[in-house]
Amino acid sequence: MSDITEPHVVGRRTPRVDGVDKLTGRADYTVDHRLEGMLYGYPVPASIAHGTLESLTLDAARAMPGVVDILHHGHFPDLHRSPNSIRQGDAVSEVRLPFEDDRIHYHGQYIALVVAETFAQARAAAFRVEARYHQEAGVMTGLAASDDEGEEVRHYTRGEPELAFGIAPVILDETYTMAAESHLPLEPHATLAEWREANQRLVVHESTQGVFYQRNALARIFDLPPERVEVISHYIGSGFGNKLFMWPHAVATVAAARMLGRPVKTVLPRQQDMMTTGHRPASRQRIRLGAELDGTLASIQHDSLTETSSVDRYVDACGGATPSAYACDSVATRQRILSVHHGTPCPMRAPGEASGVFALESAIDELAVALDMDPLALRLKNYAHRDPQRGLQWSSKHLDRCLESAAERFGWASRDPAIGSMGDGDEIIGQGMASATWFAGRQPCAAEVTLRADGSVVAACGTQDIGTGTYTIVAQTVAELTGVPVERVEVRLGETRLPAGPLSGGSMTTASALPAVAAATREALAALKEVATGPGGHFAGLAPAALDVEAGTLQADGRQADFAEILARHRLSGVTGEGSAAPGDERREFSFRSFGAHFVEVRWDPGISRLRVARVVSSIDIGRAINPVAARNQVEGAIVMGIGMGLLEGLDYDPRDARLINANASDYRIPVHADMPEIDVELLDYPDYRFNEFGARGIGEIGLTGIAAAIANAVHHATGKRVRDLPITLETLL
Amino acid sequence: MQETTAHPPEAAVTVRLTLNGDPITIEVSPSAILLDVLREQLGLTGTKKGCDHGQCGACTVHVDGRAMNACLRLAVMCEGQAVTTIEGLAEAGHLHPIQQAFLDHDAFQCGYCSPGQIMSAVALLEDHRIAGDVATVREAMSGNLCRCGAYQNILAAIQDVRLRRHAQEGGGDA
Repeated sequence: MSDITEPHVVGRRTPRVDGVDKLTGRADYTVDHRLEGMLYGYPVPASIAHGTLESLTLDAARAMPGVVDILHHGHFPDLHRSPNSIRQGDAVSEVRLPFEDDRIHYHGQYIALVVAETFAQARAAAFRVEARYHQEAGVMTGLAASDDEGEEVRHYTRGEPELAFGIAPVILDETYTMAAESHLPLEPHATLAEWREANQRLVVHESTQGVFYQRNALARIFDLPPERVEVISHYIGSGFGNKLFMWPHAVATVAAARMLGRPVKTVLPRQQDMMTTGHRPASRQRIRLGAELDGTLASIQHDSLTETSSVDRYVDACGGATPSAYACDSVATRQRILSVHHGTPCPMRAPGEASGVFALESAIDELAVALDMDPLALRLKNYAHRDPQRGLQWSSKHLDRCLESAAERFGWASRDPAIGSMGDGDEIIGQGMASATWFAGRQPCAAEVTLRADGSVVAACGTQDIGTGTYTIVAQTVAELTGVPVERVEVRLGETRLPAGPLSGGSMTTASALPAVAAATREALAALKEVATGPGGHFAGLAPAALDVEAGTLQADGRQADFAEILARHRLSGVTGEGSAAPGDERREFSFRSFGAHFVEVRWDPGISRLRVARVVSSIDIGRAINPVAARNQVEGAIVMGIGMGLLEGLDYDPRDARLINANASDYRIPVHADMPEIDVELLDYPDYRFNEFGARGIGEIGLTGIAAAIANAVHHATGKRVRDLPITLETLL
Repeated sequence: MQETTAHPPEAAVTVRLTLNGDPITIEVSPSAILLDVLREQLGLTGTKKGCDHGQCGACTVHVDGRAMNACLRLAVMCEGQAVTTIEGLAEAGHLHPIQQAFLDHDAFQCGYCSPGQIMSAVALLEDHRIAGDVATVREAMSGNLCRCGAYQNILAAIQDVRLRRHAQEGGGDA
């Protein structure tokens, strides 16, 4: 409607600039790349979770057609470990190198990599590798099977939470658990490695959320200068966190390519992808709340225990959002980790907080029931108008508006709070709600923009588009500042040859990359103005500052010349601007977070034991949405993932031996089309200009926080059963 | 202890089929999977591998007009059949109406499942046994996983094309 006359491109609904490539099959994902003479790797997974590899028998596998080599502990180069530093930009997901020793730490750990002429040959041979193990006693199958409280790694306290809890007239003390979840990106992890220049240059295609991290880590591991390593990831078949940092398959594949002098591609089979490339760890959280009779929160204590592996120390900080969630003087959070014999966990969409908000927002609902208060009113009663954790003003917070708007669209006012009181035929309707929140962060970013002689613009940045729409918002930003239409802006991402860009993670890409792209665009325009005002230029003699930019032209004194004319007159192929941006000192004055509210309706049919999410109404406050259509898609997708978290998803480890039972896309259940409810997402439009010039805070993760709690709260309303363990399975309700 | 013997390479089999409208003859191993032949041998990488077990639908292609998982099909089974992949959908540079609708409705994020979703959607719209109501369409599309969760927009894209088609065919109640 307003699309036609609206002069701004930023903030306008814009079809994705990479859409046609994706929808016609032309987009080049890592798995699609092929090189001359390329070999195929296929890993062999350990079939035990804890012990040692006693022997490998490889004769049968070696004799299979097409087999070129088999890498394993006794046949692998001496490599270095990566320092695994976020600050140095060389973080990896698993520090231990593949085949480093004969220890087995988890089911699925690679014990060999078969390399063959074709994929089918590599796979066939991998199944002929015979391994003998020594299984050891004392396997840790998961925190559910253990009373071990692990090791404390973080804590936070303000006020006197224990004292306040002890004297509060109304208290709640409950424990919530969540099963481990698999990211299950549809494109499995994949590496294509090619060595050039007598093994002095390495080019790697990887499905990764961070090309620079992988480049730096590979440079450490293979002892090369970083500029001799190139990592490419043009299209990523989603990530959700498990493609942030490199996993061992990449190291094994790069090593194989060097050993064999030929390019090697390894695409992880789905089962191995689920066993070896991370998951959201299982968690057990105890929430203690103390409240006055009027609902005023007097104390919040949030104790979390999450799993890590026996080889790495991954912390899934569940209590991250709790200190700033409510205006409460006395708050404590404690985080502990427990080593178990699973693969190393890693961040998964809204890491820590998605789990933590489930527990906290379930507990707040329980408190509302105990107080006989409306859960929405209880949240507004304890509304944090300032950030109580840091004692600072919020840059921009409109959670109250989210709660009120979503409640109105949902019809919350007509909810009858009595359990099971709302029926529709055979179904009992349950309605629940929860708040959503996710931090707003920025990372340093550089970019380069070239105005070209043909009138087009090229924007380059070494960040990635994992499906969130980064290609498109970069094009929008350039179009906004130059007036060149989006279709004439070519965006290059996902290469370490480009200016260094941030990880695609933490919902930080938009706020990190766009200011850098804008700075580079302005630099390019300044360079063009200099040309145009120089000798022989269209605006010779004028000051560059006197020129205006409009619709791909420079203008002054009623005259105009388009970019291409200006460049042509001077026989220039183009002018380039470089720009960079980083967070400033705004954090000293303000706290930055995004907020939201989810209202969920479930329908429970006790006659046939069917539970489904029927309706979700959400309002989200993320500052400015650069491309509203893609932003809304992010929230809708997060809601779908939240339905999985609430009702379907859990990695099942055998309680006897810690073997992963359901490592496939069918037994591990994710939502399908038929699980879809009606979804109504509203994006509030309160630009947060204190955060960056575009007012955007990022939107990839917030939608997932709070959904599972709203579902559990709705289930309680429908059935009277308070389910504190995710996923909520039907047998719990029978 | 297993005896090890050198395995002779499998004898190649000649298969004649129609691929994206063109008759082709290929030499494949009898055990070659259609998906691997498309991607590795013929270079048609638009058809994606998500699970290799018929669980995710990313490899959906049309075989004689029916949507099928290419990962569950031997290439030799396609003798004499017409196989259509995502590369064969757009005609003369124009997007198929379903592809256009996916673009218009933002019915994807990462795009990896999109070729499979699109092939299933096209087959579904051609299949008159499948009713056009929302619940039926959702059920019929449930073999195609989208981890990004773009299901709502995928549904909107399909129903949009259905409505336009109905209007073009002169349906009065569209």
